Amino acid sequence: MTATTLTKPDPGGRKPRKAKKPGQDSNSVLGHSKAAPYLFSLPAILLVAAILGFPVLYGVWQSLFTRETLGSPTEYVGFQNYIEMFQSPAFYHALNRTAIFVFGSLILGTVLGLVFAFALFRVVEKLRFLRAVTVAPYIISNVAAAVMFRILFNSQFGLLNETLEFFGLDGPSWLADPGLAMFVVIVTQVWTDLPLTILVLLGGLMTVDKAYLDAALVDGATGWTRARHLTIPLLAPQLLISTVWLSYSTLTGLGVVLALTGGGPLKATQTVAMEMYTTAFRSLEFESALAIATFILILNALLTLVYVAIGRRYEYSQ
Amino acid sequence: MSDIHREEEPAFAASTARAATAVTGAPQKSRPAGGKTRRRARQVLLFIPLIGLMLWTLMPFLVTLSVSFKDRAAVFANPALIPDDPTIAAYREVLSSESFLTSFMNSLIVGVGTTLLSILIGVPAAYAFARFRFRGRHLLLLFTLLPRLVPSLGLMVPIYRLAVATGMLDKRITLIIVYTGMLLPLAVWLMVGFFQQIPREIEEAANVDGATLWGRLRYIVAPLAAPAMITIGVLAFREAWNEFTLVLVLTSTPGKRTLPYELYLMQGVEGIANFPGEAAFTLLTVLPFVLVYTRIEKYVVAGLVTGSGK
Repeated sequence: MTATTLTKPDPGGRKPRKAKKPGQDSNSVLGHSKAAPYLFSLPAILLVAAILGFPVLYGVWQSLFTRETLGSPTEYVGFQNYIEMFQSPAFYHALNRTAIFVFGSLILGTVLGLVFAFALFRVVEKLRFLRAVTVAPYIISNVAAAVMFRILFNSQFGLLNETLEFFGLDGPSWLADPGLAMFVVIVTQVWTDLPLTILVLLGGLMTVDKAYLDAALVDGATGWTRARHLTIPLLAPQLLISTVWLSYSTLTGLGVVLALTGGGPLKATQTVAMEMYTTAFRSLEFESALAIATFILILNALLTLVYVAIGRRYEYSQ
Repeated sequence: MSDIHREEEPAFAASTARAATAVTGAPQKSRPAGGKTRRRARQVLLFIPLIGLMLWTLMPFLVTLSVSFKDRAAVFANPALIPDDPTIAAYREVLSSESFLTSFMNSLIVGVGTTLLSILIGVPAAYAFARFRFRGRHLLLLFTLLPRLVPSLGLMVPIYRLAVATGMLDKRITLIIVYTGMLLPLAVWLMVGFFQQIPREIEEAANVDGATLWGRLRYIVAPLAAPAMITIGVLAFREAWNEFTLVLVLTSTPGKRTLPYELYLMQGVEGIANFPGEAAFTLLTVLPFVLVYTRIEKYVVAGLVTGSGK
């Protein structure tokens, strides 16, 4: 570390640069060389720029090119890749699948998140153990979650079908049925994402002022009315966070789908993210894949703006 | 039903519990309730969602655990949750397989490397952002936005091609650098918040007493920031240990893959799925976390909540 070279205290104390507003941080009091903040922060800034910033911009730029065959030099074609993308039926199929995946996960995740957060809130004094259980899925990789849910949903020996059989029902082949595979993918994805949703909503419940609830009680509001008209609107900021998170994680999520179904059966779970992956690493059409990736990035940003706009409207104005 | 009689909880009325205490599990006042039978009924009602939460979270683990102790035939022949004739054959098989052992080592190296590098680079940067006024400080805002704008999906192709171009494919150091880069925004953001909570006056006093910048960092800031550093370490290790989409494109030779990639391949390699093997592999992957889970859990929660939004 270069830190040792920075340890020379400023001789005699540097004069503060210009007059500073009171209360404003002043470097001179803490006595360090002028270069210190830059030396401290530069490695992080450079690494983030190199790993996150540059590759994405490079990818967007490369999406404007094409090549005849793999390995031949690229040729600038403007928005040709995007035009082809918007003309491709496979893209619209993937977009349709993605819409089901994202909104299905949003609905299931939000409903379960609210139910579990309310339940945990009521037993908050015994939270320690329950919280540990709640967070457990967070330490599991997407692939491991996929293995677990493939066992759980297995048509021949899975616990779910065994239970259905117990009630005299014939369990379906969940992952082989194009109509049901997406359901399993949604459940698995929500399972991996739910710890965050629960914790965020629980945190929100904790900050909801009890005075509001007591006022509602005096007015005779019952449990459900309170939840519907008071608690949930008061939770708007936390619901917004969890919605943005769930939507982001499903829209850009590849791991669960790839490890669970690989886009099948019959492309029933071929989301846009999967489409990007197969275009790049199966068809080796990297420039077309970058166009899809850019589309996903823009869609993600736009959806976030939409959620924020909706969230603002529902928030209580005090 | 009217809840008015039930809610006799004056002590509770004005208390505005904060999210932070909620998450760290500060004890709350218990709520005295009304009639005995109604309390019973309420408790039962209350336990249904809690049991649901338990089932929802733990069932996938339990069925996997169950399958991992069966042999391949028994998985189909005897689907009961408790194995008839438990065997550790699957664990033996996985633990003696080359693919598990090398990928476990790779994951360990990449995990530890990412953890150390994240702390080494992230902590000084966070300190600078939190304490110093300098040009470039506004980059902090960008830091907080970037992870939301740049998912790993958007990085797959560009990072793969950059790695090909620079000959960095199939190297553990590449994974360490990439994971650190992805984690840094969150790590820095988390640490900045933490450093800002350490009173500036402590450092100024030490400065007056003649402590150098290094001395202050070493003897005042680092000990106070230890919990935040552990949080970052846990997050970094988790990320490196579980990451799947980027290791999928950045490695190709068998000896270089990490655990998730190897587990993913295991599903496709054999004609008939080896369910006990996959189950045992999955649980052995989770094992390091389980062993320290009760100790790291609160750091996981802290990191999870901080990373959620803002």
